[in-house]
Amino acid sequence: MNSKKSINVGFIGNPNCGKTTLFNAFTGANLKVANWPGVTVEKKEGTTYYQGQEFRLIDLPGIYSLTSYSMEETVSRECIMSDEVDVIVDVIDASSLERNLYLTLQLLELGKPVVLALNMMDIVEERGMELDLHRLPEMLGVPAIPVSARKKSGLSILMHAVAHHSEMQAQGPLIHHHPGLHSSHRHDHHSEYAMVYTDEIEDKIDAIIVRLKETYPDLENKRWHAIKYLEADESVTSQYPIDVTGIADRSYEKEIINQKYDFIEEVIGEVLVNKSQKAAFTDRIDHFLTHRLLGLPIFLAIMALVFFLTFAIGDWLKGYFELLLEMFSGAVGNFLTGIHVNAMLQSLILDGVISGVGGILTFLPNIFILFLALAILEDSGYMSRVAFVMDDIMSKLGLSGRAFLPLLLGFGCSVPAVMASRTLEDPKDRFKTVLVTPFMSCSARLPIYVLFSSMFFGKNAMLVCYSLYLLGIVTAIATAFILSKIDGSKASHSLLIELPEYKSPNARTIAIYVWQKIKDYLTKAGTVIFVASVILWVILNFGPSGYVTDISQSFGAMIGKLAVPLFRPAGLGYWQIIVALISGIAAKEVVVSSCSVLFGIQNITTAHGMSAMAATLASMGFGAANAYAMMVFCLLYIPCTATIGTMHRELHSWKSTIGIILFQLGIAWIMSTLIYHLILLFI
Amino acid sequence: MTLKQGKSNQTYRVRSIHTSLDLERRLEALGLTEGSLITIINNDKKGAMTARFRGTRFALGRSIAEHIEVTEAADHE
Repeated sequence: MNSKKSINVGFIGNPNCGKTTLFNAFTGANLKVANWPGVTVEKKEGTTYYQGQEFRLIDLPGIYSLTSYSMEETVSRECIMSDEVDVIVDVIDASSLERNLYLTLQLLELGKPVVLALNMMDIVEERGMELDLHRLPEMLGVPAIPVSARKKSGLSILMHAVAHHSEMQAQGPLIHHHPGLHSSHRHDHHSEYAMVYTDEIEDKIDAIIVRLKETYPDLENKRWHAIKYLEADESVTSQYPIDVTGIADRSYEKEIINQKYDFIEEVIGEVLVNKSQKAAFTDRIDHFLTHRLLGLPIFLAIMALVFFLTFAIGDWLKGYFELLLEMFSGAVGNFLTGIHVNAMLQSLILDGVISGVGGILTFLPNIFILFLALAILEDSGYMSRVAFVMDDIMSKLGLSGRAFLPLLLGFGCSVPAVMASRTLEDPKDRFKTVLVTPFMSCSARLPIYVLFSSMFFGKNAMLVCYSLYLLGIVTAIATAFILSKIDGSKASHSLLIELPEYKSPNARTIAIYVWQKIKDYLTKAGTVIFVASVILWVILNFGPSGYVTDISQSFGAMIGKLAVPLFRPAGLGYWQIIVALISGIAAKEVVVSSCSVLFGIQNITTAHGMSAMAATLASMGFGAANAYAMMVFCLLYIPCTATIGTMHRELHSWKSTIGIILFQLGIAWIMSTLIYHLILLFI
Repeated sequence: MTLKQGKSNQTYRVRSIHTSLDLERRLEALGLTEGSLITIINNDKKGAMTARFRGTRFALGRSIAEHIEVTEAADHE
């Protein structure tokens, strides 16, 4: 092992096989997370060393098969076939061999070096199962290394096998004993390949190989391409078109799948010495957690706890963060004044950058707690049960059962709620959830409701606030429902999800997961928010005459005045209100502070301040109907910059993000106009 | 009968699957092929159900379970 070149190792395996835990055991938190070009599938890379040899590890998405029906499968297949991978490490959940070996058989057909990492051997032992670790490599022709990702055992042996195997072009000796099953096929494929099909299929494979040779003499691994031809795999048949009439007039996919599973049964029969004896612990827990009646209340209780931790404890910590930020901002202000920095630059730093970016930092405690809770629920195996428990209710809205979580979190803050949408697998579901989540009234909108409802609705203020929360829910549900009617693809909503065995969550996996999320939030959302806060500051502090201290002379005020006719139908045709709404894009609660600046009223949240502002507004003809329309608009219009940044981060598309913003703006305008005129009718 | 009409803790053999091509292929790749065995774990709800096939538990939506034709299989297959 003196070769200087690093060995590229691709980690692949079924979902829930512990692949990420194993990958993390090698790389630690020191990994590069990016996306595969053009798609929203995460790509993780890291390096590890063993006996002076460098290994470059790639974590491929968890998949059940190597067909090309999903983005994850296509990405994995292309990566493995490319030069990016020298050796494939197939991570197998040894306690669930039957399912995991299907992908293994497909990998073996690719003709690249494969090393099996038999993970979760501890669970195998716990259940009293025994595996013949000698027979398994004999039947498959590749090394099988028992590892424990959680206990970090077997790791160096695995890399040792990878290093050795990367140098070997051929597979190990295959020893098939098929008493009475001996193939009468003219080629003795059993000595060459682990997976040998029936004579009918093998004849067809041979015939296609002959035709492939004629057209593409340099094509590597013709057997794999021939098998793909029999499966009528679209990417292979379109990339290497040949005429297969007379050989493969129909798809033989079903036969190929069935014969693979037949072979797996044969392997299991020889390798699995003792079947699981313990009535699985998981079934007993599931008896309660997925119970017809108990499942929902248990889920709601768990969610209530997550919600409480995220927002009660998170907000408590957030208070301290805000205090720190204020002190920091004050200190910077004093410092800047001390060194005689001009007022404009001071304002940019204090009102623009620190209040904008700092405001984002104050959300960190909420995000930390939320993702800690989510990571524990996900790693323990509970999350997929949520999909099952909530499926009946959510499928009526055309959303996946898991979408319930982001919607619920939306009441606290849209930022973690939108981030939580990544637990949804289907990109369509994710888009719909991200679209409707901001309609759930977040806590930052409450100050606006409190201000305007106590100014104009007196004793009924509470009722008015409550009605806005309800309106948000109804709008979210209606939007989801209408969207699902429009795209109408019912099949994509049909639930099909593995319910993995419950296990105690792994601290390392959780720590890395949470750290990645936080880093993500700080870097990606942070940059967008930084730019947005500077732009907003410029709009509100610059006018045609340059830097202005009077906001009414700013570009913001000009935009506000221009937009007056547009907002008049909604009862919001006042330039100050429009500017306040624009400033609310920075963060919703800013609407309140902007109102105090724009109307020149101090202590706006006190009774005295409120009555002064109500009087000012009343003199402008702004009454209860206008106030309600204003609150409706605040509920539904463009989410804050932090949410916009997060939406872009989750959807990876400015087109979708801007589309969502325009849609929400449209809904806000339509709803507030409608409600404004309805109220006017009845008053 | 369809899988949805099945009883909890009973094993069935798949006769045929009539869903969209895409979904049928996903199910097949998971090993739920014609002739394979599936054991219902929990079919108490009107909507989704849980079942085990090829050694793994899955949650299946009603729209899938209603389109899988099965026959009863012997208990200890």
